[in-house]
Amino acid sequence: MALNPPSPSQSIFKKKKSLSQLPSMTTAASYLSAVHEADTRARSHDISSVASTPALSLSSSVTASSEDTVLNEDDENNCLAYPRTPPTSEQIFTTVHTEFGHCANEAYRCVSKHDYTKPVQEHDIEEPPYYILLTTYISYLILLCFGHMRDFFGKRFTKSYFTHLMPHHGYAPLNSDFDSFYTRRLKRRMDDCFSQPVTGVAGRTIVILDRYSTDNNTTQIYTGSKSRALNISSYNYLGFAQARGGCADAVEESIRRYSISTCGTRLEGGSSELHVTAEALVARFVGMEDALISSMGFATNSTFIPALAGKGSLVISDEFNHASIRVGVRQSGAQVRMFKHNDMASFESLLREVISQGQPKTHRPWKKILVIVEGLYSMEGTLVNLPKIVELKQKYKFHLFVDEAHSIGALGPRGRGVTDYFNIPPRSIDVLMGTFTKSFGAAGGYISGSKAIIDVLRLRGHSGPYAEAMTPPVLTQIVASMASIMGVVPAPQQTKSALSLSPASSVVTLKDNSEELPGMAPASMLPTWMNLHPNLADGSEARMRIRRLAFNSRYLHAGLKKLGFITYGHPFSPIVPLLIFNPGKMSMFSRMMRARSTPIVVVVVAYPATPLVTSRVRFCVSAAHTKEDIDMVLRACDEVGGILDLKHGLGERWGVDEVCKRAVELVNSV
Amino acid sequence: MENSASAALEPLLSFLTFSLSTLESGFYKLPGSAVVARYVKSSHQNDPGRTILELILIIFAIRTLLQSRTRADRSGKHFIKFSEKEIDELVDEWTPEPLVQPLTEWEQKDLSSVPVIAGPNGPKPKLFSTGKTVTNLASFNFAGLAGNEQVKDRAVDTLRKYGLGSCGPPGFYGTIDVHIDFERDIAEFLGTEAAILYSQGFSTISSVIPAFCKRGDIIVADRSVNFAIQKGIQISRSTVRWYDHNDLKSLEDTLISVEKERKKRKGPLTRRFIITEGIFERDGEMVDLPKLIELKLKYKYRIILDESISFGTMGRTGRGLTELYNVPASQIDMLVGSVANGLCSAGGFCAGSAIVVDHQRINGTSFVFSASMPALLATSGSEAITYLRNNPSVLLTLQDNIRAVRAVLEKTEGITLLGHRASPIIHFCLRTQQQSLSVTPATYDYEAEERILQDIVDDAIANGVLITRAKHLRGQEMIESRPTIRIAVTAALTKKEVEKAAGVVKTSVTRILSKRR
Repeated sequence: MALNPPSPSQSIFKKKKSLSQLPSMTTAASYLSAVHEADTRARSHDISSVASTPALSLSSSVTASSEDTVLNEDDENNCLAYPRTPPTSEQIFTTVHTEFGHCANEAYRCVSKHDYTKPVQEHDIEEPPYYILLTTYISYLILLCFGHMRDFFGKRFTKSYFTHLMPHHGYAPLNSDFDSFYTRRLKRRMDDCFSQPVTGVAGRTIVILDRYSTDNNTTQIYTGSKSRALNISSYNYLGFAQARGGCADAVEESIRRYSISTCGTRLEGGSSELHVTAEALVARFVGMEDALISSMGFATNSTFIPALAGKGSLVISDEFNHASIRVGVRQSGAQVRMFKHNDMASFESLLREVISQGQPKTHRPWKKILVIVEGLYSMEGTLVNLPKIVELKQKYKFHLFVDEAHSIGALGPRGRGVTDYFNIPPRSIDVLMGTFTKSFGAAGGYISGSKAIIDVLRLRGHSGPYAEAMTPPVLTQIVASMASIMGVVPAPQQTKSALSLSPASSVVTLKDNSEELPGMAPASMLPTWMNLHPNLADGSEARMRIRRLAFNSRYLHAGLKKLGFITYGHPFSPIVPLLIFNPGKMSMFSRMMRARSTPIVVVVVAYPATPLVTSRVRFCVSAAHTKEDIDMVLRACDEVGGILDLKHGLGERWGVDEVCKRAVELVNSV
Repeated sequence: MENSASAALEPLLSFLTFSLSTLESGFYKLPGSAVVARYVKSSHQNDPGRTILELILIIFAIRTLLQSRTRADRSGKHFIKFSEKEIDELVDEWTPEPLVQPLTEWEQKDLSSVPVIAGPNGPKPKLFSTGKTVTNLASFNFAGLAGNEQVKDRAVDTLRKYGLGSCGPPGFYGTIDVHIDFERDIAEFLGTEAAILYSQGFSTISSVIPAFCKRGDIIVADRSVNFAIQKGIQISRSTVRWYDHNDLKSLEDTLISVEKERKKRKGPLTRRFIITEGIFERDGEMVDLPKLIELKLKYKYRIILDESISFGTMGRTGRGLTELYNVPASQIDMLVGSVANGLCSAGGFCAGSAIVVDHQRINGTSFVFSASMPALLATSGSEAITYLRNNPSVLLTLQDNIRAVRAVLEKTEGITLLGHRASPIIHFCLRTQQQSLSVTPATYDYEAEERILQDIVDDAIANGVLITRAKHLRGQEMIESRPTIRIAVTAALTKKEVEKAAGVVKTSVTRILSKRR
């Protein structure tokens, strides 16, 4: 059962077909909520006509546009399209519910901040019972045996399937059957859980293109129908993945003004004033002197690390660092040593060893040691022990590179990442790197540091002369979302000094050394044509987003724990891994979540992205989720987890109803 | 005394014999244990030394398995044991270098001379520094797609439906239907089975190469390939053989010698690849594709062809060299192109057979581990392909403009034009005795030449024509090539405008060079 992908004859497809045959038919509930929507809309129009304050007229216009999005798509899943508790007349929401959920309850907020009265949480791993480990190993053994048997007979009887793995016409096979064994025999069995094509905005909900396979996932057949699912998988931490709203409006304006591309590399005629603006803003956001933007997050690491380390230097890297860091380090030609994930004792003893031993064989001292860690680890949900590392940095004099791909925007009371969370001055770290894909709903990455470092990277990094520059729409999304998180200082004073662009260069000199942790963005730092809506410009909406994200993350963490699951990671981490262990249960979990009456799409990850036994499902919480959405996920996990026997956690257990009821208490007690 | 000692030992001894006997009986209860016992017994009888040897082997195997691989050998002969105090002293003494070596005075000048464009880039952009409008011969806008209204409309429509970011890697809900459509558009446009989309042009080929070429495979590559290819080859850890730049005779010789070596060693059949560029980014030379394919088929190699410059610019409708030479694109195993250059959007692609493409969906590092391309950039690319299909005249204009620029520059004193006459990028370097681009003496003063070229660039910009030096990472490239100025011709300008702009460049060259004499 576990290995059979759902076939079209299963009930969920039937149900959808019957629904799609009658697009105009609505259930009573959906009818009611639609009436309610219309009512709210009318009310908000009313308000705007009476008192035309900018804030209100804005909201009415956005609500008006939200009407298009909601009603034009013939949504089948009304509990996702409309809020469960209808808004009261005081509450006006400026977002589309399917993209960014409506949640007015101020109790469902929380501040992500490190409590220095408690020690920094070490990476503690809860072990499952032995029979789970044993069955996991046995499952893999069975899978391997069957795989090899199928290969053995397949190569003899159905040669056509193996032509690309056998030498033919004097060509060696394109990939050896040994290398592709895992892909063919293990991953293929659950291919329906990966690379699911989607359409529309990857916001709070996502529309998946329904598909099925009749040949064990060799080919996927698309039925042509779509279904809307709750999205707890996209890196959309602050919920900026939106097709409507202030950021999207700004992007539209910039497409009209700047077109799609800047046509070239940064050093060869592809630099635009928007790059200069965005880089200055990023530098201010992260609290560094200068910043540099690259058009791809992966390439930020893989093309700039080689400019920071080379022959004769040593890179010390956490064992769970992202592939892009590994590629960058490999290209740099520097020596690499790894330490156990987040284990500060192992890290320090490694430091002592390498400094005292020097370079291998010659024992010459290292030219420099670059320590590369991530702020928030994408598979574990663990947070780096930054206070300890910064302390060690004083003693051992290494250079520190923190990859904030996941943590920037998502952590800290003001969304400035791990430094903000731990309240550590960002300039005590040499290089802060991050991406815009996750919290900002854009693409690409940045690297920031002192002006001296960044200038060198502009010129000597691989991206400057060879890689295409970031495109204007993406830059605008970054500027708009980032400015809204920072809040814009309305008064146009000290305009010139803040952005003293040395005219003939692409280099920005930011003169605010006095301010270690940057505050708001002066209006002069934004493009003059960009008019952010007032609730974005004053930072109130983004503050709400940050606090909602913190609440949702903590709630899901704590809730899953109370339900009896084994989870990893920091309670404030928006990445919540839930341990599954058995490979067969992994695909079942994904399928069962998708087959629910309100489908939920989840990400399941296994070896080689994780160690062999600890297969997991990884939830990515977003500020766009409402408390009801998290409730829904918890209920689904409770049900599915019970069937699949996943509840092996220790500690006190609550029923799912109690968890949902006492959510606020749970969040505040962790 | 003795008695009491043996009495004390008695229970221990009896326990030992008991446990031994239970162990023995337990062992014999195991299925197949009799066979093992018989084997051990007989081997010990025949050759007692062998038992010891086997025992040692087992112990060694266990030891190797237990040892961590990433950890350096602490007991190795190079490991020096220090006391804690000594380590503390060593730590105190150690003074690391700064993270980066500061920029030299020339590098700083170089950095500050990078042009920044105010407003949209296009054939006539405005410079941020001076506010002056210049004619653009620097940016990659070959087909004149920059600022295309159709593309803009399509992008806005996409934005309103999909938002901007994809918020996930392709494996995890980052595959949007527009990506699938765009991949199909590219594959249909080129005439291949399938295509795969990467989110950055530069990272495309440096990820495609290691996806296929592994340790022990053979790569035969042009000596002068671009930096992205070099990085890809470096990561692949394959055996590399280089052939002379764009010299297919040299390629054939290399192929023959590789084959000879293989026969001599009687090695197994390994994967073999030829990696080269369609139009070389470095100097604008063009590869003789039919001849290349002939060689590839003859010696049974696979081709990875980088068409980053030629896709979207060459052939009747911009399908690249395959269209120009009228070769089926399916002959090229991995055809890599740039959406950013050719289609004025962002990203890159690799087109080929379905097997080649599917393999990359799991093994292409920068595909798997990176967020997918924003939806609106993908639809912009699709729209650009439609534009190229419907407006073949654009590329005729481009060729006219290329001829016009070359005609003017060919007559200019003191410079040497490089590259193929149809190439949309035109490099020129200073004319000296040293004619070839790549072979340079060790004493050669790059910086002096770069300075002269930069003066020419600055002078041209001051006179209203934006050009740029071809930027390279000196010291990181595999071979140092001579500094050049690179002109990127566009179809968005009329022939008159292009001629006038080339005239300005010519005057600048003459003025700067005459100043120096």
